Amino acid sequence: MLSRRTRIILSILVVASLTFVILDLRGGDGPFSSARAAVSSIIGGIQRGAATIFSPITGSSEWWSTQVSQSGQIRELTIENERLNSALVSAQNDIARADQLDELLRVASVGRYRVTPAEVIAVGPVQDFAWTVTIDAGSLDGLEEDMTVINGDGLVGRVLKVYNSTSTVVLIVDPESSVGGRVAGSQEIGIVSGTGRQNSLEFQLLDPLGEVNQGDAVVTFGSKSGRPYAPGLPIGEVVDVTGTAGQLARIATVKPFANVSQLSVVGVVVKPPREDPRDSVLPNPSVATASATPTPTPSSSNEKETAATPAPSGN
Amino acid sequence: MIIRQGLFIGTCVFVAVLCELTLLSRLGIPGATPDLVVVTVVAIAFAMGPLQGATAGFAAGVLLDLSPSSDTLLGVNAIIYLVIGFVAGFWIDPRDRTLPIMIGITALSTGAAALGTAIVDTALGGDRVNWVEVPWITLSSALYGVLLSALIIPLIARISRPFLPEISFS
Repeated sequence: MLSRRTRIILSILVVASLTFVILDLRGGDGPFSSARAAVSSIIGGIQRGAATIFSPITGSSEWWSTQVSQSGQIRELTIENERLNSALVSAQNDIARADQLDELLRVASVGRYRVTPAEVIAVGPVQDFAWTVTIDAGSLDGLEEDMTVINGDGLVGRVLKVYNSTSTVVLIVDPESSVGGRVAGSQEIGIVSGTGRQNSLEFQLLDPLGEVNQGDAVVTFGSKSGRPYAPGLPIGEVVDVTGTAGQLARIATVKPFANVSQLSVVGVVVKPPREDPRDSVLPNPSVATASATPTPTPSSSNEKETAATPAPSGN
Repeated sequence: MIIRQGLFIGTCVFVAVLCELTLLSRLGIPGATPDLVVVTVVAIAFAMGPLQGATAGFAAGVLLDLSPSSDTLLGVNAIIYLVIGFVAGFWIDPRDRTLPIMIGITALSTGAAALGTAIVDTALGGDRVNWVEVPWITLSSALYGVLLSALIIPLIARISRPFLPEISFS
């Protein structure tokens, strides 16, 4: 039926791919790491160029949704606009407060994480069931395996493989990804694992009696020397809790802050903070104790205070 | 002739892999990523024959597995695409090469590729596959296969004409 030559070539190809699978199944730095590095250094460079060419198409992130529901969106936006106009006045006050909070957050976070910016240049197809992306920074930019990847919203993932000028990042929603997480308020710890869906993570509390509520924020617990996950990074918000307190498996569904399906610019944490910024966004307890201790003040400091107070009142 | 065919297949597969990873997978389209690679492999199989289809499938699978932003086992996509390329080229009736039938076979192929990846990945002990999502991904992949193949099959058939094999399989 088939010619002899066809049969020989086909069997060679089948045997070759089966051999690849079996050799690669062993995991670790298999015999293909050098092949992968070579291919990715070629493809990575071309991907970079292609990403630039395609950026007008991929850059408009809501391209698909606008195509689908433009008329509905216009109606929704008109209603929303009216509502927002009326809310604007009362929002002024909130904006001022939010600015102050922003300032506090920036003080807490900026300067602690040293971040190398990178851009996503390719995304793995959905059919592979692996949530991985390629970024345009590699070992030449100081990246190493197991570094944390963040964006403006929060934790994105970690660096899986590093090549010369590109690296592969596995996202937190990948089913094989698990991150140590901590509820920001109650300090309960647990494990945040990916589900393979882009907008939900599973958060399993280590303490079955632990307190977790809808709306709680979850931050990273941090790993030893900040690899693979630096501490204190926002992961997501609890949207649903299944199981009652005391039940063996209490699982909360967490919606990640970062929209992993529309990633563009990300940052790789090259250097984690020297210390865990676990409470830095909360009111600092040390300030409270410092202001509480001087209550039995010696007279000298009292005099200083009274001496200092007339000066501004005099002005 | 063999070298020219190889160059043609290699170029087509390379361009398809590049477009899929940098353009199609980043559009944020619901469901599966439009599987340009499988459509290209099937189109090559239609235009040139089962052996060329299988070779194209193997090359595409290896390239897709090796390229960055994929974390699959090397060889999984290769064997799935190899089988698809061979079957598509083998089962197409030379007397009945109408576009609707070819589009139908392509849709089946893209669906089978998505389903096949899920099955092989699970069989090899991976726990990445979320089986709740598999039917939807398979279905949407087949649907995008229809859309892409209406464009790609005539294109490949047109540009592959100078590279056609003189000896057909029998």
